[in-house]
Amino acid sequence: MQKARHIIFSLCLLIIPFSVHADENAMQLLQSMGTAAKNLNYDGVFAYQSGNKLQSIRIIHRADERDEIERVLSLNGAAREVIRTNDLVTCIYPEGKRIHVNRRPLGRGFPSDLLSRLSSATDYYKVTLGVESRVADRLAQELSITPIDNYRYGYRLWVDKASHLLLKSELLRDNKDVLETFAFSSVTINADITDEMLRPQITGHEMTWNRSDSQSPNQNTAIRGLSVWKLDWLPEGFVLVAQQSRLKANTGNAVEQRVYSDGLSSVSVFIEQIHAAHNHLKGGSNMGAINAFGTILHSHFVTVVGEVPAHTVEKIGHGIRHGNEGQQ
Amino acid sequence: MTVNYNEQLSALVDGELRGEQLEHVLDLLKTDVQAQQQLQRYQHTSDVLNGFTAKLHPTNLSARLALALEDEPSYAVRSESKAKVLPFPSQLWKQVSGLAIAASVGALAVVGVMSQPENQLVSAPVQTAAYEVVNDVHPQLASGNRWTVSEPEVEERLNTYLVDHNEYAGASGVFSYARVVSYDAGQ
Repeated sequence: MQKARHIIFSLCLLIIPFSVHADENAMQLLQSMGTAAKNLNYDGVFAYQSGNKLQSIRIIHRADERDEIERVLSLNGAAREVIRTNDLVTCIYPEGKRIHVNRRPLGRGFPSDLLSRLSSATDYYKVTLGVESRVADRLAQELSITPIDNYRYGYRLWVDKASHLLLKSELLRDNKDVLETFAFSSVTINADITDEMLRPQITGHEMTWNRSDSQSPNQNTAIRGLSVWKLDWLPEGFVLVAQQSRLKANTGNAVEQRVYSDGLSSVSVFIEQIHAAHNHLKGGSNMGAINAFGTILHSHFVTVVGEVPAHTVEKIGHGIRHGNEGQQ
Repeated sequence: MTVNYNEQLSALVDGELRGEQLEHVLDLLKTDVQAQQQLQRYQHTSDVLNGFTAKLHPTNLSARLALALEDEPSYAVRSESKAKVLPFPSQLWKQVSGLAIAASVGALAVVGVMSQPENQLVSAPVQTAAYEVVNDVHPQLASGNRWTVSEPEVEERLNTYLVDHNEYAGASGVFSYARVVSYDAGQ
């Protein structure tokens, strides 16, 4: 009996460090993936599939000591483009002859800065290494990210073994249904990216330009202390990571955006003043894997938007209240 | 090769080209190596997303296409049957035809916002406004690249929020703006 205990104990010693080690490797790879996306030069074509829709998209990304620039353009249908520089996001919609220029709220690098907060996500996801396979003719390591509850989605990611660039991503509901797929079909890493390649194909003549500026971080700090809106419920692990306020150019309505994240998934809560007769979403809506929930509170449009299940944005939305509630 | 050509090549893979457009792209593919390569990339993309890569043998589609084109005596007559020279597996055609992206003209009208003085940030007493709440979710549109709402005003507002939220997309960070550029403006 005692011998059997020794054997079991020895097996545990062998197994436990191995599984912990595997998770650490997975987390390191995930963090490297975030860094690679920011620091590498790459030029590729990827497919985006959501529901029964398939779109081909080209992405060109250049980073050097001074600047980070990215151009994303649709290859099907209307030639829409998004160009991101250090602190600006320019969206070009040729079919509506509109150009929307938006100052990036935090003015830091991209893609998402959220991956720098990954260490806080470890309590809410199981991150494990999968098998190796080929994506876009490159050797990729699969990563499986499984949430602890059904308030967030899971992911399967394929990360380039050589450069750690994300090559393919699947967003999973209930760890089985694929809601969205992004997959490079071809990509050149460490590509020589010229200025010409990053220039939009549309000159902007005869286009309507809309520009915006978010508040400075200091101002945002001030807002945080002054905001009168409260949230009664968030999924476990979600904390406030960003906040900004702006005025819409066409309506003059003030819009406050708060971003809550668990380090991997995020939701934005938009609170917009109403000054005139307008319609608004009541209840849920979705675009691919992005869910939204809208309501009206105290003459404000209140909308929750995020890469999380519909019941999550709905529950968050139902828990939003004005600070004066209960005092009237 | 311009983006317009890219669009046409992608449409070719989707089985959307007919008539003069089809002839034009086929002419281009006879001589333009870059176009041939691009066609292969689109085809591969479609294969990957439809799970055909494991089932099909590696195929140099553009080379096969060029060979097929050599056998074609003339393309002067417009004909629906020209698509038959493309050596796609019939199963693939059935699959990709269901994935056609609408190249539509429409309004993805994202409104702009402008800077706001700090003293306006706190929610001030708001004038009583007449407004209407709409609950117009379309169950039949519950998937795809378009918000499931019918009110243009509501859709416009959600699109604005989508752009702002994308800055904080997590694991799909590299790809997150795909949702913005691929927004299905057609309905």
